[in-house]
Amino acid sequence: MSNPTEEDLKVIAEQVWSSYLDLDGASPLVPYPPEKPETDVTASVSVTGAWRGHVLVSCSEPAAKNVAAALLGIDYDDVAEEDVADALGELANIIGGNVKSLLPEPCALSLPHVHVDGSNGRYPSVTEVCHLEGSWMAESVTVTVLESTADLAGAPA
Amino acid sequence: MVIDDSRAMRLILKRIVAQLGFDVVEAGNGQEAMDYLKTNVLEGDGEIPGLALVDWNMPEMNGLEFVTAVRAEPRLRGMTLMMVTTESEQSQIVRALASGAHEYVIKPFTPDAIIDKLALLGLVPNGVAA
Amino acid sequence: MTLTAQEFAFIAGLVRRDAAIVLEAGKEYLVEARLLPLARQSGLPTVSEFVNRAQQRPEPEIHAKIVDALTTNETSFFRDGEPFKQLVDTVLPDLLVRRSGARTIKVWSAASSSGQEPYTLAMVLHDSLPPGWTFDIIGTDISAEMLTRAEAGLYTQLEVNRGLPAPLLVKHFERNGAHWKVASTLRKNVSFRRLNLAAPFPALGPFDIVFIRNVLIYFDVQTKRTVLQRVAGTLRPDGWLFLGSAETTIGIDDRYERVVAGRTSAYKLRAAGRAAPAVSAVGKG
Repeated sequence: MSNPTEEDLKVIAEQVWSSYLDLDGASPLVPYPPEKPETDVTASVSVTGAWRGHVLVSCSEPAAKNVAAALLGIDYDDVAEEDVADALGELANIIGGNVKSLLPEPCALSLPHVHVDGSNGRYPSVTEVCHLEGSWMAESVTVTVLESTADLAGAPA
Repeated sequence: MVIDDSRAMRLILKRIVAQLGFDVVEAGNGQEAMDYLKTNVLEGDGEIPGLALVDWNMPEMNGLEFVTAVRAEPRLRGMTLMMVTTESEQSQIVRALASGAHEYVIKPFTPDAIIDKLALLGLVPNGVAA
Repeated sequence: MTLTAQEFAFIAGLVRRDAAIVLEAGKEYLVEARLLPLARQSGLPTVSEFVNRAQQRPEPEIHAKIVDALTTNETSFFRDGEPFKQLVDTVLPDLLVRRSGARTIKVWSAASSSGQEPYTLAMVLHDSLPPGWTFDIIGTDISAEMLTRAEAGLYTQLEVNRGLPAPLLVKHFERNGAHWKVASTLRKNVSFRRLNLAAPFPALGPFDIVFIRNVLIYFDVQTKRTVLQRVAGTLRPDGWLFLGSAETTIGIDDRYERVVAGRTSAYKLRAAGRAAPAVSAVGKG
């Protein structure tokens, strides 16, 4: 089984967007990055087992609020921080689970962690496997797959 | 019954099944759902929920543990259990079915997918989905 | 932004000429939605400009793509449910007796689109036929692109979520990257070829079972009649025909009689030599 590719991320993202974020096909995730990817908000899930690493969904704050507004069916202006955490976390869970199905078995998926402070969390000893940079409604959204390089004995707790 | 640790996902599922005429109880994980069943059904006089949509990865008690626990309780035999999860390896689907789940929907899903599966289970008439 | 009457008429004429499908006025939104991806592929911002270019510079390949885009219908595994249940409950018990010599069942899935119907038929026959029996399913479609997709037998997660019971997903499909692939045990009994229902058929059949669902509704009465007549020529005298739930042979072609099967209807050819009665002998089902 080969590592997941940007093409795989595109297929997964397209399905997530058409199911929840772009119901009428008018606002797809366009796989061209905006000038500068923004990472105001990052949701991550960890994969452990036969393969170890992380799947990150990072986006600008407006994009994160758009995700929350779409999933929760509320107005953009009414989106609270906890809404962003819930919605972005679920997005990372869905994308992460689909990425996991491309990896060697058996693997387990962690619950999502969401950072809304602009830090995207710390991932020591990792190497990037692939990433998908896109824009959604003119805002930055990035999906990144990181593989742990530390062997099991030296893995951070 | 809609069991998922994401409020957004509970809402999406709730909207779909509420439209089909189901009354919905929400739970944020398997333990909360079990507690509800214990209090209201096993020790109370509440009705057994006819259907549970169950996420897999949740804190406290995950969906697979919940399905196993429900199947171990003869008084909850009337519950139809449908996993709705991002777990999408063939082996995971086999595991869930072997543990007693009746159906399995992979996230992401469209509303039609949920409705089609409920039709397969005989819970809604055929042809409701577009 | 929206199509002019002239632009819509051009598209409707094209689709009628090549596929005998009638696009009535009021279907402009359908044309817009289905052609937008093609317009984008051609680097044009609107469907209107795309249609204009197709008119001014007729290219057979673009015309074929337009017809494809407008004749491809939504499909899902086990669509409508009941016909597949009746295949098991009504049709197979009959054919198991009638074909006990040859022990093989030949099926045609017409307008098979991306292949969900022929593969559903394959799953049902694979799981229902007794040991020693074989089956052979042919799927046909007007769209070369759909035939390529169907032949590959690759479906997205969203597609396998639609109508396919989970136990059959794990039994008859294998993960293939981000997709699911129909297992080779099923694919080896299913083949595909191009066929325009509105044109004379090549040599085809004879079939024990024909599924031609949700396609007659797009034809005018004369084309419906012609198609049903040609289908009759591919059906064994004791074969079974399934139409879509909104379709019937009644009032169009009286060589068929309706047979009530569970909560749906199937059609059989009237016995040779028996005159067609003025009123169908089978009650309303």
